[in-house]
Amino acid sequence: MALSESPSSHPTDRRLRRSVGWGSTKTRDNAAAALFIGPNIILYGLFVVIPAVAGIVLSFYSWDFVDAPKFVGMANFNAMFADPVVAQSVLVSLGFLLLGVIPTIAIGFLLANLVNAKMRGVSVVRVLYFIPLVVSAAVSSVLWAWIYQPQSGIFNQLLSLVGLKGIAWLSDTTWALPALTIMIIWMSLPLVIILYLAALQRVSEDLIEAAELDGAGPFRRLIQIVWPSVASTTILVFALELLNFIALPFEIALIMTQGGPINSTTTLSLYIYRQAFDQGKVGYASALSLLQFLMIVVIVVGARYIPRWVSAVARRNA
Amino acid sequence: MSAGVVTGARRAPRKKAVISTKRAGFILRWVVIAAVGIVMGFPLFYLFSSSLMTAHDVSAYPPHLLPPVVNWANFVDAFNYLTGRTIFNTFLYSIGILVLQLVIVLPAGFALARIPFKGAAIILGFLLVPMFLPTTVVLVPLFVVTHQLGLVGGYAGMIIPIVGRTAFGTLLFRQFFVGLPPALIESARMDGAGWFRILWSVALPLARPAIAAYASITFLNAWNDYIWPLVSAPDDAHRVMSVALAPLASGQLSNIPPNIGLAAAVISTIPVLITFLFAQKWYVQGIVGTGVDY
Repeated sequence: MALSESPSSHPTDRRLRRSVGWGSTKTRDNAAAALFIGPNIILYGLFVVIPAVAGIVLSFYSWDFVDAPKFVGMANFNAMFADPVVAQSVLVSLGFLLLGVIPTIAIGFLLANLVNAKMRGVSVVRVLYFIPLVVSAAVSSVLWAWIYQPQSGIFNQLLSLVGLKGIAWLSDTTWALPALTIMIIWMSLPLVIILYLAALQRVSEDLIEAAELDGAGPFRRLIQIVWPSVASTTILVFALELLNFIALPFEIALIMTQGGPINSTTTLSLYIYRQAFDQGKVGYASALSLLQFLMIVVIVVGARYIPRWVSAVARRNA
Repeated sequence: MSAGVVTGARRAPRKKAVISTKRAGFILRWVVIAAVGIVMGFPLFYLFSSSLMTAHDVSAYPPHLLPPVVNWANFVDAFNYLTGRTIFNTFLYSIGILVLQLVIVLPAGFALARIPFKGAAIILGFLLVPMFLPTTVVLVPLFVVTHQLGLVGGYAGMIIPIVGRTAFGTLLFRQFFVGLPPALIESARMDGAGWFRILWSVALPLARPAIAAYASITFLNAWNDYIWPLVSAPDDAHRVMSVALAPLASGQLSNIPPNIGLAAAVISTIPVLITFLFAQKWYVQGIVGTGVDY
């Protein structure tokens, strides 16, 4: 009797205890939550939230890391508009974005479709498409500085094979930015290919087969069926590449060209870095960081209208 | 494959034509896949190849594709340039970030998903807000805070501020733990298990694939970091490989010949290249799951 009772009474008993000791369970939940989340939130507050606030506050101060910060009101912002390098570095940043983001997305989409084949051996070759992923900005810089080398670089050698005369890519004010963009596109493609490959597994095969039966060629299927089906991935990829083509040109120009020749690869981030760490103008750099943030917000908000604009143009031309 | 063609031939001639166009398309696609793959892989192949050339061969005109003489001694010189200390620092930095990130991100993600407590919604919102701030926007104020805490110039200042970027991992694992069947955790609670035991012996074992994916990407990104190690600890004792390599890309160190610089670049790539080749699945899942190298 007692034996058969104990298993059934056990959970009831526990449930009773829980409902009676409701307050203590709650306390224990709260204590556990505090313990689990506390360290995380403290570090997050220290190194994410406080810097974000400090960045705003410091942009109204003049400070060199050493002396006491001095309140200067709007002086940093006024200086920003009077500084010709600011406007130029914004243009350089936009140049990297324009040359880099859309081509990376387009090439990545095409290559993902290319290697999305159930053929023997493709998964082995696919590794080649992913490999630039492991190459760091520093390694890539060492490598491509040598590839772009004017005399014995392989890039000029390849150009000479098709009859083009090579130039000193990295010391040319016109060509340094496109040259850096090419290497950043190479570095960025794996991420885009991987994300699109994942998205392609979810594209309805029935839809593609139906289009095939309707006589749509592979290219039309790609544009009219596949591309719209991966729209949500495109939005993600666009956001990621936007940030990527702000972060990488900064690091790579800092490493390879130091922003030169004559500031032609000085992005806004690189100029901010210069102001803070070379000139010790922390307040001015903070004000410029706000400008950078504003630039990103404008692009992200503006980009939401691009698809609408494209389809409007397409409709007018159709 | 040849059997398919034979049966096709025994049927109608029209069918045979269809099969051979298909086959031509198949071969063409294979050729394009291989050709583009070679283009994508070429820069890295060239890195390895020229890292094995002598100083004379690497600067030869026209350039060599393969080293005429394999010069392994480059790697000894490259190692001496990088120093064991720098290599150790790179491991310490990457593994430190990885381990500490997991330690603070996993319990928090679990708590936000599973432990009922007041304020969860506020914390979620708090984490969501500045998630898309790129590092370069916050670089200066992050340095200012680290500097004011007296952490600049040491391992703590290199590692902890990066660990503090917890938003992404926390939200990612919260999402994962939300998706676990509630019955699993309920039954563990019924058995009287505390939250720590549920996390450790119920939730974490189930999260192993997600952890592997997240860990691969976190390690890779830390390994490849340049700007933060540069500003937070610029001295030689704390230098990581990225920081050591950078001057070689602009010819700032004219006493280091290019073949040695390229060999040093190879040394710093090999650990992540090997992990990538063996754990490609986790890297790919990490990217798909997180959508990010941040």
